[in-house]
Amino acid sequence: MINDSVLVVIAASAISYGTPLLFAALGELLAERSGVLNLGVEGMMLMGAVTGFWAVQTVGGPGWVSLITAVVVAALAGAGTSLIHAFLTITLRASQIVSGLALTIFAGASGLSSYIGHVANLGGKPARHEFDALNVLGLRDAPVIGPILFHQNALTYVSWTLVALTLFYLYRTRPGLHLRAVGESPGTADAMGVNVTAYRYIHVMIGGALAGIGGAFFSLAITPSWLDGMTSGAGWIAIALVIFAFWRPELALVGAYLFGAFSSLAFTLQARQVHLPPEVFASLPYLMTIVVLVLVSTGWARRRLGAPAALGVPYVREER
Amino acid sequence: MVAAGQVPAVTMRGISKRFPGVRANDQVDFEVLPGEIHALLGENGAGKSTLSNILTGLYRPDEGEILLRGKPVVFQSPRDAIEAGIGMVHQHFRLAASFTVAENLVLGHRDAADRGLLLEPRMVEGRITDLSQRYRMPVNPRARIWQLSVGEQQRVEILKALYRGARILILDEPTSQLTPQEADDLFQTLRLMAGERRAVIFISHKLEEVMAVSNRVTVLRGGRVIGTVMTKETNTRELARMMVGREVVFTQKKEGPAQPERQVALELRGISANGDLGTAALREVNVTVHAGEIVGIAGVAGNGQRELAEVITGMRRRTAGQVAIRGRVMRGGDPLEPIQWGVAYVPDDRLGTGVAPSLSIADNLVLKAYRRAPISTFGVLHPRRIRAHATELMQRFNIGASTSQTPARQLSGGNIQKVLLARELSSRPLVLVANSPTSGLDVGATDTVRKLLLEAAGRGVGILLISEDLDEILALADRIAVLYNGRITGIVERQHADVEQIGLMMAGAA
Amino acid sequence: MIRIERRLTEARWLVVAVPLGSLLGAAILSSIILFLTGHDPLATWARLLDRGFFASGAMSATLVTATPLLLTGLAAAAAFRMQTWNIGAEGQLYLGAIGASGIGIALRGQPALVIIPAMVIAGLATGAAWAAIPGVLRAYTRTNEIITSLMLNYVAGLLMTYLIFDSHSFWRDLSSFTARVFPQGKYLSEAASWPSFPIGGAVIPLGLLLGVVAAAVLWLVYTATRFGFEARVIGDSRAAAHYAGIRTRRKIVAVMALSGALAGLGGASEIGDFRHVLDPRGLQQASFGYAGIVVAALARLNPFAVIVVAILLGGLSNAGFSLQGATFPAGLVGTLQGLILFCALAGELLVHYRVRIGRPGRKAPPLSQVGVA
Repeated sequence: MINDSVLVVIAASAISYGTPLLFAALGELLAERSGVLNLGVEGMMLMGAVTGFWAVQTVGGPGWVSLITAVVVAALAGAGTSLIHAFLTITLRASQIVSGLALTIFAGASGLSSYIGHVANLGGKPARHEFDALNVLGLRDAPVIGPILFHQNALTYVSWTLVALTLFYLYRTRPGLHLRAVGESPGTADAMGVNVTAYRYIHVMIGGALAGIGGAFFSLAITPSWLDGMTSGAGWIAIALVIFAFWRPELALVGAYLFGAFSSLAFTLQARQVHLPPEVFASLPYLMTIVVLVLVSTGWARRRLGAPAALGVPYVREER
Repeated sequence: MVAAGQVPAVTMRGISKRFPGVRANDQVDFEVLPGEIHALLGENGAGKSTLSNILTGLYRPDEGEILLRGKPVVFQSPRDAIEAGIGMVHQHFRLAASFTVAENLVLGHRDAADRGLLLEPRMVEGRITDLSQRYRMPVNPRARIWQLSVGEQQRVEILKALYRGARILILDEPTSQLTPQEADDLFQTLRLMAGERRAVIFISHKLEEVMAVSNRVTVLRGGRVIGTVMTKETNTRELARMMVGREVVFTQKKEGPAQPERQVALELRGISANGDLGTAALREVNVTVHAGEIVGIAGVAGNGQRELAEVITGMRRRTAGQVAIRGRVMRGGDPLEPIQWGVAYVPDDRLGTGVAPSLSIADNLVLKAYRRAPISTFGVLHPRRIRAHATELMQRFNIGASTSQTPARQLSGGNIQKVLLARELSSRPLVLVANSPTSGLDVGATDTVRKLLLEAAGRGVGILLISEDLDEILALADRIAVLYNGRITGIVERQHADVEQIGLMMAGAA
Repeated sequence: MIRIERRLTEARWLVVAVPLGSLLGAAILSSIILFLTGHDPLATWARLLDRGFFASGAMSATLVTATPLLLTGLAAAAAFRMQTWNIGAEGQLYLGAIGASGIGIALRGQPALVIIPAMVIAGLATGAAWAAIPGVLRAYTRTNEIITSLMLNYVAGLLMTYLIFDSHSFWRDLSSFTARVFPQGKYLSEAASWPSFPIGGAVIPLGLLLGVVAAAVLWLVYTATRFGFEARVIGDSRAAAHYAGIRTRRKIVAVMALSGALAGLGGASEIGDFRHVLDPRGLQQASFGYAGIVVAALARLNPFAVIVVAILLGGLSNAGFSLQGATFPAGLVGTLQGLILFCALAGELLVHYRVRIGRPGRKAPPLSQVGVA
């Protein structure tokens, strides 16, 4: 059957592997649109992964209650972690680069996420509940599009909704216009009565929340269990994705699935007895990130299309 | 127009504002009547911008109070000031370059007709068209800001204030980037607005235009009010004295006899180059500068001035043409080459390009000479010689700083420019390219810079002086070339220069 | 109302006070985390300090841990000073370890005087080469070096794993049946073990001495050479560097390579001083490369301060890893490092800015006192 063909399987699992990247990239995109670069995505994802997993193991009730609680907890953990970055860079004007790195060291593998996981003794256990693939409209077995579009889990469908919402928000609403202005020209936005600080705080924290959900996707859908450092670089790939997407949500979706495909390629081909060292497949997403970044950094794309002009620059009003 | 007994639109009483190390405003009293164009005159650094930033809610005063139509107000943020009917046209426009005109106008704004969560571009565009017709300021609401000329961008700034229903309009140095004709159009618009009993505050340091457009003038110096006078009861001489505190006579180039056998120092043949966005910024520019000659490049900013300077100094690649120093053609595209060939460069971006902001004065003074003995030998620097070099130049060029180890960013604009000129002129150049060398400097520093340029020319340096300040070019240059849209639209000898005609060339109309 | 004003001059005493305050602040914050998770903060700290510095033999073990930290800290400092963000010290350290162990195995039977310098050079060279990749990409294609250097960390880790676990490579021990079933690397010969020097109660490994020399060299390069001058200009303003005719691209590649060489030397020292075998799991667990960023930031990129900070943090890591277990959960070391960095960043504000708390409308001093007429 065609649905067992390599390409369909890869495409379907590319979406699954791409979903956490999409969540994290959308979040980072919103933060960067406000002018704040947050390199701590990896750390925030790991916080989401560990707290989400903890919640699913602890919160009783039916499976869906437990899972929804887990997603909320993961989002809160991500947002809470990002608040440190927001405070340091927006209020205290610290270097966004160093602060983001600090966030990853603080929360990442062998950091706080690992501490929580070990203290709560979460390692090596299967999740009590996980996000299963749904059978949307009963079309799961439709040829080609069935497994790709109608046999994904609920969070994937949420992520599609989010892309549409983000697009609408950025280009059709007043707060979206203000957000773009804050990232583009904070001085202008300030002079026009837009609260630059508030916009930056809010969007950095939305970014953290989405990264947290992306992390929880690993521990509640992909693996589903908790391992120290389980996102293994997905946060960094998400940051690269934002550049690749020229800061546009719809392109982030494309990019996320492209990178999802690199990950799924590794697993699918290995499962089909293609004999190459596993490390070759495993390093594919990392190497492709470099290749893609080089491509978008050269040639016609070089003019930083779409990059918020004030990205990485602290905004200070009373300084001459 | 200005009658006694009216309630002033704005009253500022006893305003003081301090910054680290500077008292920008000191007990300033200032009032503007409705229907009046009130000029706020002062040198750079006199406190004009600080005062207007306080009135627009950007800064909070340390002391003093603001009254609007007689009622005290406290602005917590720019939004409060906007809502109170105060509109500001900043010198460096507060416009988001990648946004459309309409997007810039609705930014941060809500009123009865336009307040929803969603944007309503069509309705806004209609309102903009109405406004721009009423005030005779045509502009396409869908154009993106970066596509507009400087004059058009200024219209957007003014429309933005009007769109918000501003009854009090503040313009900060509004003519600094306009051609003389564009400035006249602006004055017409301002009179139209004053005729509607709006209060207009016109910030400037140019005496002639203050005399031309205002009803009253308040002069600031060193953060204090020196006085307020009726425009028709004063003259430029009196205003100049109030502004500077002494008689000012700017250094002028002496009329010297032409020297026919002067050597060609710099020759540009058919130079074309692209701007940052990849579009053509220079088109077949031909200019010759002789040794000891100052050639002025006049024009409104953004017509290729920066690109021209960068092509000559190797910081930008040219797409066609040749640059020759004393007849030898340079390869181009490499900043080191002109440095070694004796081309000195004073860029318009002083702090950031011309000097490295966090590095000390001493380090900045060897920014180009560090490669050679005696500053370095075999790759090793000699700190003592660097310090001695700095001490000598700081004395010779009268650079005001406590030690040579002071970081450059702590210096005043005038001292930064002296550091730059000290470094560039001490390298004994054949050619000097100076872009806007006095912009933003106070009167004293401006005069010092002009003297240094004239001295250098006297020693035989060929100088290409790029400036938006037409008066400066007229005072210093032997010949004046006008740059418009990347082309030289005309070259005139100073003796035959006619401001009206140069203005037309600057607008591309001649 | 809180106001933040830029200081006209950096306050000298703060340069020392900020790092110390950061350590103290991080100690307090991590105590709160420990307390909230049901651990006794004081007891934990007592154990950490004892195991890190005071117990018998602790200082020697700490110095061994401090050695790679010192070198990755210098690597970060060398790059960050030029505002070139090499986050790849981790991978460059792995490559240094691969290079040094490879040479060590190849030169089996040679005397120490041959093997050890060869290992040092191999570590420097492989680390530099690995770091040159993101350097070249940054310089010639303007590709963000933060992400590329970081991605290469994962690739380097996978490369190490491949060499020992999934191939019959030159590095892998295949001499016995057990070694075939439980993969491990080939041990280096006795002559390839780097010497150490007992001083007082502690034993100083050769790598640490090399690190101290490297710190001095780095300091000299940055303060007294043309190369360092150019790097400082680039670090302060790319536009000014371009203006001054400095070859920015070459310099970026050179500084990345220099940074990578230092990290690579850290990898070589791990092999020569401590492990004597290419041990992918051990090296990845230690994450010296990331910790190096913390070291450099806390030392405010000063090479000599890096030495002190590396020993301090080395003690904490050393204690953290050796105490790891049921009563002492993993992850505390990273958390602590993160907190130290946060505090250091917040403290940086105090160096450059003055925080004033007061009401607006206070009387300002007269002009004469402010020094402006």
